[in-house]
Amino acid sequence: MGKAERITLKEAGALIQDGDMLSFSGFTIWRRPMALVYELVRQGKKNLHLFEVNGGTHTEVLAGAGAVKIWESCWVGHELYGKLGEGVARGQCEKSMIVEDYSHGQVVARLLAGAYGLPFFPTALSMGTDILNPQYDMLKRAGLRDGSNPKIPRQKYTVSQDPFYDMGEILLMPAANPNWALVYASQVGDEGTMRVNAQTYTDAEVIKAADKVIVVAEEIVPDSYLRSEPEKNIATGYSIDYVVELPWSAHPTGSQGYYDVDADFIRNFYSASKSKAGYDKWAEEWIFGVDSHEQYLEKLGISNLEKLRANKVLGYSTRVKRGSR
Amino acid sequence: MTAKNNKLAKAGEYKPIDLLAVAAAREVVDGDIVFAGTGLPMLAIMLAQKVSAPNAVCIYEAGSIDGRPIDLPTSVGDARCAHQASMAAGLTEAFYGQLHCGYVDLAFLGGAEIDKYGNVNTTVVGDYLSPEKRFTGSGGNPDINALARRTVFIMVQEKRRFREHVDYITSPGWRLPKWPGGEFVHKREVYGKFFRGGVEAVITNMGVFRFDEEGIMYLDTVHPGFTPQQVKDNCSFDLNISRVSGETKPPTYYELELLYKEVDPEGIFLP
Repeated sequence: MGKAERITLKEAGALIQDGDMLSFSGFTIWRRPMALVYELVRQGKKNLHLFEVNGGTHTEVLAGAGAVKIWESCWVGHELYGKLGEGVARGQCEKSMIVEDYSHGQVVARLLAGAYGLPFFPTALSMGTDILNPQYDMLKRAGLRDGSNPKIPRQKYTVSQDPFYDMGEILLMPAANPNWALVYASQVGDEGTMRVNAQTYTDAEVIKAADKVIVVAEEIVPDSYLRSEPEKNIATGYSIDYVVELPWSAHPTGSQGYYDVDADFIRNFYSASKSKAGYDKWAEEWIFGVDSHEQYLEKLGISNLEKLRANKVLGYSTRVKRGSR
Repeated sequence: MTAKNNKLAKAGEYKPIDLLAVAAAREVVDGDIVFAGTGLPMLAIMLAQKVSAPNAVCIYEAGSIDGRPIDLPTSVGDARCAHQASMAAGLTEAFYGQLHCGYVDLAFLGGAEIDKYGNVNTTVVGDYLSPEKRFTGSGGNPDINALARRTVFIMVQEKRRFREHVDYITSPGWRLPKWPGGEFVHKREVYGKFFRGGVEAVITNMGVFRFDEEGIMYLDTVHPGFTPQQVKDNCSFDLNISRVSGETKPPTYYELELLYKEVDPEGIFLP
């Protein structure tokens, strides 16, 4: 092994401390590090601060467990398989969670600043919206913009005049540098070079922005294989701190080239997540009721997983039933 | 395939959702660079590419640029979006490399509530500080709506969804607050030299709406089977129905065949 240290799922979970600020790979219900997210719930993590481009099933697994204190993002749901993020919604409406809303482009701006070592990033996206209404700065309302937490900027945003070309007013969004990037990747080299074989979402930005990076990989392959086509890789080994090799670790989210989204599984989770009791029952069965990722996969069963397995040419499954016809 | 039957379908031969998809597809100009969200927007752009805008291209916000899906994606992050794409990139490319830098002509978006200025809410019901209900949130909706030249919203028509003022402005319409002060002004004053356009049309299950010179919504066409007054009765603000140009053109048999046999043969969005 090169620079990234190879560890187990349980060891990866144990690295995360209560109160840590986390960001994730993926997009809504695609390429989320689900096995690690389950492990965080199993280990009873609390007061987590999530900073993410958008939420998805992984966010809801954490929110339902009461593990999230702050959620800075812009969207949560399960796409076609669950239209809302019930756990986040409960947290916001019952005020047990601080929700700080942005837009996609604004979260990306914060990540870009964080990734490139800049204090802020300018953007003209989503001006004139209530995202910028000073009354709705929830971290400020909670007294958390006093500079005592180095991960929370003193202002949500500021408006600046373009000093160079007279373009007028533009937003400056503060950098985000989470403590951890929790990443699911399809392939990681034995020296840590990383490839996703698909749309990149914001994975490379999240990796660069975070202080420490844990990658849960579908498979570990010889670095020399990835280095024979370096243009396809999105991260270097030295930017990744820990690697866990774990097939099917994004389930029930999808991973292009490996497996599709498990729609029925997410639908079931979504209906369970509509109440705390429903969530707890679901978690008892699928998180606490299994001791390991291997047991989780055995519970899912080979025939279920085989249906999800991607067609090698198309990169997605042609055997799942997706609609009404 | 049989010869194209371009005759208009009659009442009862199509569903409301079919007309939504077709009316939205007709907003695409050939050659447009189109930013589309999940659901009906996908049907609209894919139908337009097959019927009237073969040179229109589609960008999905998760990062696929000019994909040519052969199976309908169920979300914008779907592996299917990137099939035969010119680039399988990420959000930095979609939001900054494509949208912010000015490539995007047209965007299809959705929303839970809209006001008469075209401001859209997809965030909460009620007071944001004590919300009654949380929706999904903004996603890329306000970004795309901010800097695309034209946007088209596809929505459900209900009195409670068409409002004088929305509870939370998630996505910028024609008249909106200029922060941090909050003065209510025209979008042009908020965006300055970044201004490129805004909400062009709103398409619902009852009609097609557009915006006047002041940025206020009016009814443009009414769908077959409805009267302008019925549409007005399904708005909570005083909808202008003095400029109605006629009835929305129903789908053709050819468009329906494409929708059900080629665009969504699996019945994902068209049950």
